Amino acid sequence: MSCFEHDQSRRAFLKRSSVLGLAGVAAPFATTLGAIGEAAAATASDYKALVCVFLYGGNDYANTLVPYDSASYAQYAAARQNIALGRAALDATALTPANALGGRQYALAPTLAPLLPIFNAGKLAPVLNVGTLVEPTTKAQYNARSVKLPPKLFSHNDQQSYFQASNPEGATSGWGGRMGDLFQSGNGAASLTCVNASGNAVYLTGKSALQYTVGTGGPIALLSNSSTLFGSATVASSLRSLMTTQPATLMGAEHAKISKRALDTYAQVTGALASAPNANFPLFPTGNNLADQLRMVARMISVSNELGAKRQVFFVSIGGFDLHDNLVPQQPVLLQRVADALRAFYDTTVAMGVADRVTTFTGSDFGRTLQSNDDGSDHGWGSMHFVMGGAVQGQRIYGTPPAIGNNTPDDVGQGRLLPTISVDQYAATLASWFGVSPGNMATVLPNIGNYNPSSWNLGFV
Amino acid sequence: MLDSETLAPAETARGDQGAEAVARSPWPVAAPALGLALAACGGGGGGSSGGSPPATSSGAVTVVAAPPTPVQASRFLGQGTMGATSADITAVTTKGYATWLDEQLATARATSFWDSLVATGFNVVANRDNEAGWDPTVWRMLITSPDQLRQRVGMALLDMLVVGIGGINLNWRQFAMAAYVDVLWDNAFGNYRQILEGITYNAAMGSYLTFLNNRKANPTTGSVPDENYARELMQLFSLGVHQLNADGTVKTSGGAPLETYTPADVSGLARVFTGLTLASSDSSTPDRYRQRMVMNAANHETGAATFLGTTVSGEGVAGIKSALDAIFAHPNVPPFVSRSLIQRLVTSNPSPAYVGRVAAVFADNGKGVRGDMPSVIRAILLDTDARSDAALTSTTAGRLRDPIGRLTGWARAFGVTSPSNAWTIGDTSSTTSRLGQSPGRSPSVFNFFRPGYSPPNTAISAASLVAPEFQITNEQTVIAFVNYMYGLVLNGAGDTKANYTATLTKAADSQALVDEVNLLLAAGQLPAPTVATIKAAVDSIATTATNGLQNRVNAAIILTLASPDYLTVK
Repeated sequence: MSCFEHDQSRRAFLKRSSVLGLAGVAAPFATTLGAIGEAAAATASDYKALVCVFLYGGNDYANTLVPYDSASYAQYAAARQNIALGRAALDATALTPANALGGRQYALAPTLAPLLPIFNAGKLAPVLNVGTLVEPTTKAQYNARSVKLPPKLFSHNDQQSYFQASNPEGATSGWGGRMGDLFQSGNGAASLTCVNASGNAVYLTGKSALQYTVGTGGPIALLSNSSTLFGSATVASSLRSLMTTQPATLMGAEHAKISKRALDTYAQVTGALASAPNANFPLFPTGNNLADQLRMVARMISVSNELGAKRQVFFVSIGGFDLHDNLVPQQPVLLQRVADALRAFYDTTVAMGVADRVTTFTGSDFGRTLQSNDDGSDHGWGSMHFVMGGAVQGQRIYGTPPAIGNNTPDDVGQGRLLPTISVDQYAATLASWFGVSPGNMATVLPNIGNYNPSSWNLGFV
Repeated sequence: MLDSETLAPAETARGDQGAEAVARSPWPVAAPALGLALAACGGGGGGSSGGSPPATSSGAVTVVAAPPTPVQASRFLGQGTMGATSADITAVTTKGYATWLDEQLATARATSFWDSLVATGFNVVANRDNEAGWDPTVWRMLITSPDQLRQRVGMALLDMLVVGIGGINLNWRQFAMAAYVDVLWDNAFGNYRQILEGITYNAAMGSYLTFLNNRKANPTTGSVPDENYARELMQLFSLGVHQLNADGTVKTSGGAPLETYTPADVSGLARVFTGLTLASSDSSTPDRYRQRMVMNAANHETGAATFLGTTVSGEGVAGIKSALDAIFAHPNVPPFVSRSLIQRLVTSNPSPAYVGRVAAVFADNGKGVRGDMPSVIRAILLDTDARSDAALTSTTAGRLRDPIGRLTGWARAFGVTSPSNAWTIGDTSSTTSRLGQSPGRSPSVFNFFRPGYSPPNTAISAASLVAPEFQITNEQTVIAFVNYMYGLVLNGAGDTKANYTATLTKAADSQALVDEVNLLLAAGQLPAPTVATIKAAVDSIATTATNGLQNRVNAAIILTLASPDYLTVK
């Protein structure tokens, strides 16, 4: 899908959308769009949503946010050799942040171009060298193992879990869910506080809050909601009863609970989403599953008032980033999908009038090595991430630009970055915007107490 | 540190001396467990042992005891096949578990995945760049192949040693995948060391975990060998991330688990898996994918590769052999592999004692052989923890049936056939309209679900239990499953349909019908209230109604498939 015009005004949005050919719903569309705007405006005055976009596999940071000033680029190219991107290709996406980086400059990967206007509008910010840590860690401490380190570094499943939950695989809650714990009592539909549009992830489960999983097409009806099966109402009711009655076994009971949640929320969610059909969200590209997920998130946000939700945490994801090989051909394809989906989502929140109430952020298992393995990179640690939204203090680059190459103070082998911003600090900044007080921060992020409170809010939102 | 040359299986420092000692006895199963196994195999009736157990030529113990009941036989078949059938239940009740196992272990493969693809005409250029043929081939194999124990063990191995067809970066993907699973199926009753060897030299695995054409380090460019296979071979296929005691419990020091390998071990081992390339450059046919990869010395790392206390230096295939030997000899392998197999076949949370008994057999099958799959399979399926009825009243025993097993269980129980041989079940990965799982289509090397997954914020996680299959269970999939199975039960997929003739003969008697479905699908584990509910639902459909009898059968099956008492198997 090609880039869209940059005019963010509502009139321009309507004009663009009417040109897109919405299968014959032009006139009602305009009315409904107005209705969306009104619904959004009528949304709880203090509605806020956090949206986690998780890149599964460990996204290669060095070809995502690429060193661009001459000296840095030369170091990058020397370190990466045949997996380095050409400098000329970066000209169009070079970033000019409002803050000085001591002469360092970065460019977005070429296929992240759709995000450039959002950056320039001050609503998107890269955050440098974010990674899983237990406590502040210097290179000397890492080498000496003299501080606590996250267990099972460089292992996909454990680092996915650690990023999302501050604990390796087997974690019983994630920090998104733990935020849900604090706010679900303020939500009319508490069960819809934490919504996963992608599948299962520990991120959204709290100590009491449970994630609700919804597909990109919305909740699924059980056998078309038929009240009879084989001509019998008894069979239909027995089916629901059997599915939802908890047996004595723990596993059977849990399965029954999930089925009950699915059936109980079906009517409520489907009813709410009926007033926010896909046709009203035309900016999302087709053939892009991440975009499909974000469209569902946008639809859910648009009916949050009807659902009585004031604080919601969402999770979407895209896989395929574990590029041990084919990095240069394949990563741009994935980043294009991410950029197109994020751009559509941001523009939609603007049209809805809720851009400043929705903050989107990326996450990933880890970054990768700077060094090549001939056509790809291997598991790393610190990575570059992005935050996006109307409340973001964008057009700035947060964090400390890491040194580029081997044997630098930031390198723990083959150009793997020792993180200078921990996921906890990144998360605490988001949580703080969301409304988590400093006093409650440790229940959301158990290790946050290891960091100086002055560093709990990095200021990007 | 471990040195493969000095390490003999029983000499490692392991916590469980008892299991070690017994493992060296003539009888491979720990004596106390054997006694209990005798009692268990006696079933509901007299539990006395039937005399001294004679050894079969393989060293296994034949238990002479009261025959299994049909319910016990169905439960056993639910662990050792892709689904119980009436005929198999009769066979097991007649022969007993051990004889049935012996016969299955001696059964050669009827055909290979590769030959099956060829026989059904998929070896044409039109299929060179797609996956056509994979799904029908694997569903046909799982549902109809008579060597059912091999099918079940093969699937367990595929869940552990994962290749997903979508991640193979070669042409003729269906053939490359077939060649890979043929390695697993061919060696399922062989030796685990051979399995490790076979997958290491397999082209599909080389592509999937990106060590095909992996290059030695280049000091000029600074590139270093790809670490993917080295890491996942240790983390997922053999050792795991934490050091284990012989019973599978994690070794700790000062309360912290001990890690099995370091990043340096991964980098060192990565050097060994360099230089492997395809046996031929002829891509016009898939034949090269079932030939072992060959060593291209020019790309093989000649520098020293140090890992797990071993160093090899540029030794090509000899170096790979040394590496696999060193890994295979590691004390983690018996408990790590045993626990994984138990999870796939029997229960998600085996007791350490159960793991220890099986691991002891893995370490030494009684004849000094390490990694002997038939002995390990017997140990798993004949163990008291698998056979005793005690698990049936536990609230924590068992596992959530994986969706593939639910489909094949229905298919086998109700005689599904495909007259055209097309087996049009297809890709069942969809979480909104299918199973959320499909054989050979894992989205990553971590499979559809991880062995260590525990659903967060549940009674399961609060009890410190794992339930891997819950990783693909959510508000979408629980509904999608019922919707999908409803369609299959009633109409099949294409001409792939059930044969309900036998079941229809019971349809007029609702109790008999429900009892039959309960026996075939749920090994009789539906509790009385559930049976009563299903019976009452069946009774609400008049036998005289149009399609009344068939609809009663359909209702009984669907209500059973949707019941948490069926979905959790003990």
